Amino acid sequence: MKKDLFAICIVIFVLILVFTGTKIQSVEDYYLTHLDDITEDSQTVYLSIRCDTILDNWDKLDPALRQEKYVPQDGVILQRTEYVLRKGDTVYNILDRAIRHNQIQMECIYSINYASTYVEGINHLYEFSCGELSGWMFMVNGQFPQVGCDRYTLQDGDEIIWCYTCDLGRDVGCYWEMS
Amino acid sequence: MKYFDRLHPAVAFVYFALMIAISMLTTNPVVIAVSYLSSIVFCGMLIGGRQLMVSLAYNLPLLILLSATNPIFVHKGETILFFLNDNPVTKEAILYGVFASMMIMSVFYWFKCYSTVMTSDKFIYLFGRIIPKLSLVLSMSIAFIPKLKRKYKEIDEAQKALGIYSGKGMVDKIRSKFRVLSILLTNSLESSIDTADSMRARGYGLKGRSSYAIYKMTASDKILCALFILVGTASIVLIVLGTVDFNFYPTLSPISLQALQIVAYAIITAFAFAPTILEVKENVLWRCLKSKI
Repeated sequence: MKKDLFAICIVIFVLILVFTGTKIQSVEDYYLTHLDDITEDSQTVYLSIRCDTILDNWDKLDPALRQEKYVPQDGVILQRTEYVLRKGDTVYNILDRAIRHNQIQMECIYSINYASTYVEGINHLYEFSCGELSGWMFMVNGQFPQVGCDRYTLQDGDEIIWCYTCDLGRDVGCYWEMS
Repeated sequence: MKYFDRLHPAVAFVYFALMIAISMLTTNPVVIAVSYLSSIVFCGMLIGGRQLMVSLAYNLPLLILLSATNPIFVHKGETILFFLNDNPVTKEAILYGVFASMMIMSVFYWFKCYSTVMTSDKFIYLFGRIIPKLSLVLSMSIAFIPKLKRKYKEIDEAQKALGIYSGKGMVDKIRSKFRVLSILLTNSLESSIDTADSMRARGYGLKGRSSYAIYKMTASDKILCALFILVGTASIVLIVLGTVDFNFYPTLSPISLQALQIVAYAIITAFAFAPTILEVKENVLWRCLKSKI
């Protein structure tokens, strides 16, 4: 009987752990974000999300995604927008705030091996959606930082571009031979 | 004896191979639903309604569990229902989970029908000559789970009779069950080696050995086999050509009902329900003949 009680306690403990660990939010709650107002002395960064390369590789694109709402005609998912930089903000924080504010779909996973976040898909365009070398990359001031997006801390006036590549970065200007 | 049992093994094998291939080739919900329903109905005719209820009682919870797993790990899809730990749970992912698990279950039931109809002697009759080793391994592995279940019951009862089971408390009971499982594993390993040794000692697969077979390809068998091959291949070709293609992500594609699609669904439905219809026809015929006597 003692063993039984012990087992029941463990099961209850696990259940409590699972319940406290889950957080259920409605869609409105999730997208409810607070954007700081841009004032004279606030630090800001610029963010844009583009997928122009898909337009050149239309035949490689997953047929289910060949629609205007997934791939806009001009290849711009998010126009160049100014966002207030909070202290210690990484590229990931800005992207997260922007997509929540604009209600754009995004999926990312946290990789324990690299201790950083990897963006799998934005606006239903996922890695490998347009050929086997495709996926999302980010550029800060025209450079491709070789770290995960939540490990790159931003500075005032930085220019972030999230771009979709169909050729492992070569078609957006990231040459692996050089770096 | 069931009608499908009396057919030539080759006919039954062709049917099951084609049907299982059709069930696994597409994610189209209509095809999956048809395959799922027909497999359950046919399985019920083969093993009886009572047995079917018992197996459904185990399978439906498994189906629900499998369907619930997909939306937890897959966040694709446009229609977001709510957010779980900052990850969207979408309608598309839930539906994909339901249909993927239905596909698994339909294949499971087709295999259940297969193992009831195609006993190991039939399979070895078909393939013993061409691929002696592989056919033995395959027939042994397909018969493995039912045999394991039987054996489990035997060991369980023997342990109970020996009085080794402790009846006090859940933990001890579960530990006793684990002991039964470990005995089962050792036993099955040993018995499979025994079987192989015994087969070899009797000269299985040696040249010049004949085997006794009672199966004869009759004219009706030939016609049925040709029909199965024709209809089954037609459905596979239609599926591979993409007539019934269906996407779950990012949003459910509409089920189009144009002439070609209707033809494809009709052919697949006819093929899936063919054994059930044959079985029913045979039963009705038997009743008619009986009443005349």
